Amino acid sequence: MSAYLQSLLGILLSAILTENFILVKFYGICPFMGVSKKTDTALGMGMAVTFVMGIASAATWAVYTLLLVPLDLAYMQTVAFILVIAAVVQVVEMFLKKSIPSLYQALGIYLPLITTNCAVLGVALVNVQKNYDFLQSVVYGVTGGLGFTLAIVLFASIRERLEDADCPKSFEGFPLALISAGLLALAFMGFSGLHF
Amino acid sequence: MNFKKQLKEGLLTKNPVFVQLLGMCSTLAITTSLFNGLGMGISVTIILICSNVLISALRKVIPSNVRIAAYIVIIAGFVTIVDLMLKAFLPDLSENLGVFIPLIVVNCIILGRAEAFASKNGVLASAVDGLCQGVGYTVALCIMCIIRELLGSGTFGGGILNGGEGITVIPEGYPAMMMVMPVGGFLTLGFIIAGSQWLMKRIEKKEKEASK
Amino acid sequence: MKKESVIGYVLRLALTLMIITAVVAALLAGVNAITRDRIAAIDEEKTLAAMAAVLPDAKDAEPVSFTDDSGIVSAVYASPAGYAVMVEPVGFGDTITMMVGVDKEGKVLGISVVKHGETAGLGAVAAAKTARGEAFRSQFAGMSGTLAVTKDGGQVDAISSATITSRAVTAGVNAALACVENFG
Repeated sequence: MSAYLQSLLGILLSAILTENFILVKFYGICPFMGVSKKTDTALGMGMAVTFVMGIASAATWAVYTLLLVPLDLAYMQTVAFILVIAAVVQVVEMFLKKSIPSLYQALGIYLPLITTNCAVLGVALVNVQKNYDFLQSVVYGVTGGLGFTLAIVLFASIRERLEDADCPKSFEGFPLALISAGLLALAFMGFSGLHF
Repeated sequence: MNFKKQLKEGLLTKNPVFVQLLGMCSTLAITTSLFNGLGMGISVTIILICSNVLISALRKVIPSNVRIAAYIVIIAGFVTIVDLMLKAFLPDLSENLGVFIPLIVVNCIILGRAEAFASKNGVLASAVDGLCQGVGYTVALCIMCIIRELLGSGTFGGGILNGGEGITVIPEGYPAMMMVMPVGGFLTLGFIIAGSQWLMKRIEKKEKEASK
Repeated sequence: MKKESVIGYVLRLALTLMIITAVVAALLAGVNAITRDRIAAIDEEKTLAAMAAVLPDAKDAEPVSFTDDSGIVSAVYASPAGYAVMVEPVGFGDTITMMVGVDKEGKVLGISVVKHGETAGLGAVAAAKTARGEAFRSQFAGMSGTLAVTKDGGQVDAISSATITSRAVTAGVNAALACVENFG
């Protein structure tokens, strides 16, 4: 049991720090660049992604193990996963709208963007690749989302300060943001080799 | 025939990576050797052409309410075909690119072109559009690869030339290894985009002066 | 244009999506039928090739049951000349799957990387079919006991700028040696 617990902690550590979804693995760069101009929207996006990634990990694990493998259809995983994710996003959106309107107001506008976020499909595919069981998959999904949130919030707070920065005209906007992200990635490189 | 114009858009003025800033996950992640860049670029081009053609052919059949779902299924189908083919015939490439091949499904370039072009234009034009955007994407990836590989591992053409080792340009011990790490991806893309913005502004200025 | 009823519209939506999905599924089934055997053959070939690289009589190797304390040994094959141990240490980027050949005296015969996710040009050298990769892997031959890279006071020369990968490979070899020791 302790070995299993250790594996879960290992997943947590690697998903948040050593193999951060954005800064090391490059999953979900589009929202990372697109929705990181303000810290609070970044936090909203991060929470929405974490929420969906947790549920999507569970759902895709179930679809893969209980449906695709017994039917010998493992090669259909990409098609099946993207449909499951799209459905999960839809359901989450409808559920939030009906039952928790306050949360829906906070996260609602980010939800449609999440279907095409590679972090969500990425986590589903990596779960299969690494042969994670149900709990490991969910832990990987949720902590991967937290890693995403950490990176995007840090980045947004840097970016807020970049607004007023005086820099060469050609570097304004995107290039400067990318280079800052690079420096943030450099900092995260310091975590590599960390393990339980 | 505006093939020339479409090609120019794909390569330069509307380059999917450097100007439209699409599909950045794979652009940053796999551009560590020329072999990877070419492989990824060609895979995306093939998928882009196929999905553009099919979506364009079906554009009058697919009801607009469910079009995104339909597009995603079609794209995911082509991506899986390419994934299986690579696994069977180019296992080395498939291993290098790993999960980024199935992740082409959510690459915004493909869905973006389906929505912006193929759903409104004819089959032939959509095929040409797919080809041009795909070539633009491939060229962009290769530029990233060449820079990062040269600075980061000191080689050129890794995975293809010289029995897979690549031609050594910078002797061992000198290359800045961080260029093939995630940092290098962000930095290289940042500098290239800055460069292309500078170039665009110059061209615009010149055109304005010429038209005066 | 004739206005259709709501039910008709919903049916049309569902039907179109279903047809598209069915066609895609059928197409994939076809491609899978063509590629499945080849992919399986490539996997099998890789394991065999890795085994042949580390055991002189790999053809006679048979999988055996084993006890493992390290948690990274995934399979052991035994032959008259020794053992081929499949280990999966965690490298820089991902798990490194590799085969370690160990003779009956507990000395390393050779190592061979089956699958890895290390950085191209750096950690990936450990698996590359190049002079540098060859030099890194061949140094393990003949070693025994518990190994470590020179940086940690051991005898294994790490690949330059890829200490973590080199440590992982060394850890894999250690696990294989420890596992074979259990056979007595």
